Amino acid sequence: MEFVSPEGLRLDGRRPMEMRQIRGEVGAVSKADGSAIFEMGNTKVIAAVYGPREVQNRGQQMSDQALVRCEYSMANFSTGDRMRKPKGDRRSIEISLVIRQTMEACIMTHLMPRSQIDIFVQVLQADGGTRSACINAATLALADAGIPMRDLVTSCSAGYLNSTPLLDLNYIEDSAGGPDVTVGILSKLDKVTLLQMDAKLPMDIFENVMQLAVEGCKAIANYIREVLLENTKQLEHRRGI
Amino acid sequence: MVGLSVGEKHFIQGGIAQDLRSDGRKRLTYRPISVETGVLAQANGSARVKLGGTDVIASVKAELGRPNHLYPDKGKVSIYVDCSPTAAPMFEGRGGEELSAELSAALQRCLLGGRSGAGAGINLSALIVVEGKMCWDLYIDGLVVSSDGNLLDALGAAIKAALSNTGIPKVNVAVGASADEEPEVDISDEEFLQFDTSGVPVIVTLTKVGRHYIADATLEEESQMSSALSVSVDRHGHICGMMKRGGAGLDPSVILDMISVSKHVSDQLIAKLDSEISAAEVDEAES
Amino acid sequence: MAGKSSSIAPTTYSPSPTLKVKKKQQQQQQPIFKDVDWVRPDGRSFQHCRPAFLRTGAVNSASGSAYAEFGNTKVIVSVFGPRESKKAMMFSDIGRLNCNVSYTTFASSIRGQGSEHKEFSSMLHKALEGAVMLESFPKTTVDVFALVLESGGSDLPVVISCASLALADAGIMMFDLVTSVSVSCLGTNLVIDPITEEESYQDGSLMITSMPSRNEVTQLTLSGDWSTPKIHEAMQLCLDACLKLGEIMRSCLREATSAPHE
Repeated sequence: MEFVSPEGLRLDGRRPMEMRQIRGEVGAVSKADGSAIFEMGNTKVIAAVYGPREVQNRGQQMSDQALVRCEYSMANFSTGDRMRKPKGDRRSIEISLVIRQTMEACIMTHLMPRSQIDIFVQVLQADGGTRSACINAATLALADAGIPMRDLVTSCSAGYLNSTPLLDLNYIEDSAGGPDVTVGILSKLDKVTLLQMDAKLPMDIFENVMQLAVEGCKAIANYIREVLLENTKQLEHRRGI
Repeated sequence: MVGLSVGEKHFIQGGIAQDLRSDGRKRLTYRPISVETGVLAQANGSARVKLGGTDVIASVKAELGRPNHLYPDKGKVSIYVDCSPTAAPMFEGRGGEELSAELSAALQRCLLGGRSGAGAGINLSALIVVEGKMCWDLYIDGLVVSSDGNLLDALGAAIKAALSNTGIPKVNVAVGASADEEPEVDISDEEFLQFDTSGVPVIVTLTKVGRHYIADATLEEESQMSSALSVSVDRHGHICGMMKRGGAGLDPSVILDMISVSKHVSDQLIAKLDSEISAAEVDEAES
Repeated sequence: MAGKSSSIAPTTYSPSPTLKVKKKQQQQQQPIFKDVDWVRPDGRSFQHCRPAFLRTGAVNSASGSAYAEFGNTKVIVSVFGPRESKKAMMFSDIGRLNCNVSYTTFASSIRGQGSEHKEFSSMLHKALEGAVMLESFPKTTVDVFALVLESGGSDLPVVISCASLALADAGIMMFDLVTSVSVSCLGTNLVIDPITEEESYQDGSLMITSMPSRNEVTQLTLSGDWSTPKIHEAMQLCLDACLKLGEIMRSCLREATSAPHE
């Protein structure tokens, strides 16, 4: 199948190095301590953060750092064909773990010992890159909750199809079975916290593809900073400062 | 769940007794409702309804299926509700399943009418493609994103809005197929049939706190309830479903009184919801 | 099992028709539902309940149990406890009620179809919790396990009535016995205590669970399209039937205690 036309356009009309439209919004769930909606094209996720609060299960309490928990769930209507999956299937558990580890790495857990932070991400629409969108939404929600973080973690994926590196794969490109690199970085510190790849790639091409994904992460980080700044300005305005 | 001190409890109960609730509402006033339609691109119809701090999304998906052999002239509708853990940490894992099952059963009872399909808010006969052979199966999914009490009313409103937003593709049946063959169909991607939602009822839940009952209770108020009655009422004032929640018993005469009050409240709710839905559709068309 | 194994003939109960109901019965001379001469499949009249057979002490190992047979609907309920709540549960100064309703695989004509009634457990819980004096057994749990042996229509009302009988047999304190009756709306007729066949064609249904001597409704569900006068009529019918069912349940309990111990 042809994923990049001779004119250099992808199936949804993007250029290989072009990202989908991204949109972030803080404060989607009024009851939560922090929440956000993040959209990447048709992929749409909600994240809510509860905590830091008392540890629910005493056995899991840690005396030197906070406990970070994460649950990823997909709405029944999120995929094209409606399917009823039981909660907690293997894929969800794996993604929950990935998000938890990524976020744990950036939260300054040592400042909140004996407490618990819950991150819940809910996929409303899935169109490829849910993993990345969830991490970006979780970052926004954590920032909204005022939880101290080392830096903003952002994530983006890149692939390699038709001998072209492609940024931010959508569902059709994702299911083509080609190599798919998901990267999560701390943009200011310039550190990689998440790196996952399916299939195989030659070393030199991998470097290119990964570099592309890192560029994508940086662009998202800039956007998230803008959203947060705008949100803070509005709060400031409401307070009349 | 809701940790309230004795003083707070008295404040809520006292406010209700004096017809001035904690958020300044009267006993039978609803919180502001906002409706947004067409929120999900992948569904045939969708809507997001915010009722104060309660936030729910409903989606409608249509698939072709076979009608039930008992009712060959009717389509099938199923309703599922899911409580997202984003709404409350207690819904984590399997924690939300019990509430989800209860809400699903309640919505089915309120919107789908009797077993024979009589009194259903959705016109099931309109879903038929080839009688006895092919019909549309409507899957209605509700998702609770944020919970601040009165989920049932909000879900009912969201489903009503999602249905009015639903377009079902027009199906052309190939003529000439014999009676026992599977009919060949051609699903149009351009022509859509709009749904008649004038018969879809709204759900009004009256929560009894002390000797009074209130409409649209918040989470704090719900924690103080002795019992609650959810009544679904359509435009003509007909009761399409009803169920009682909460442990304490109710006198039959109180139930009848609550039914007549809920009928009265439903008039205002239907009018409000209709104007919100049409405003949301105008918004969607413009954007 | 009913009637044959016991010396007492199965008791039947039916609500006394009120004025309105009488009018209805006149209409029934020309019923509008389906055929012109519509008779209920089991030959009852519209306001006639199925014969009710009730016995306590069906399960020996339980603290209390009851068996109920209403026509083809056969239900067994056993009550365990009060026993200590699980350690993982938080302290509670009132007792807990844990209800579970299950179907045998052979309960319905198609094998294993009874499992679609997930909400029955929570509905049983809600019907009972208002009647049981939970504050009389703090820190403890009472388990109510209901098993539908054969499903013959109006399953949930039978389960609820039978469960309250089992609770009484276990000596759990209650404000009153909980009785439950359902009514189906078929065409213009109100049909009390419907069987499966009638339920599958019903246009609407109303189930009332009440504590007859307190005149309180603990659980109520309604589906289908109803006008207010019809709801009034159906509620009266149900409440009256509940009252009479309560009397039968009382006499069953009285009999069980007066019977000589073996």
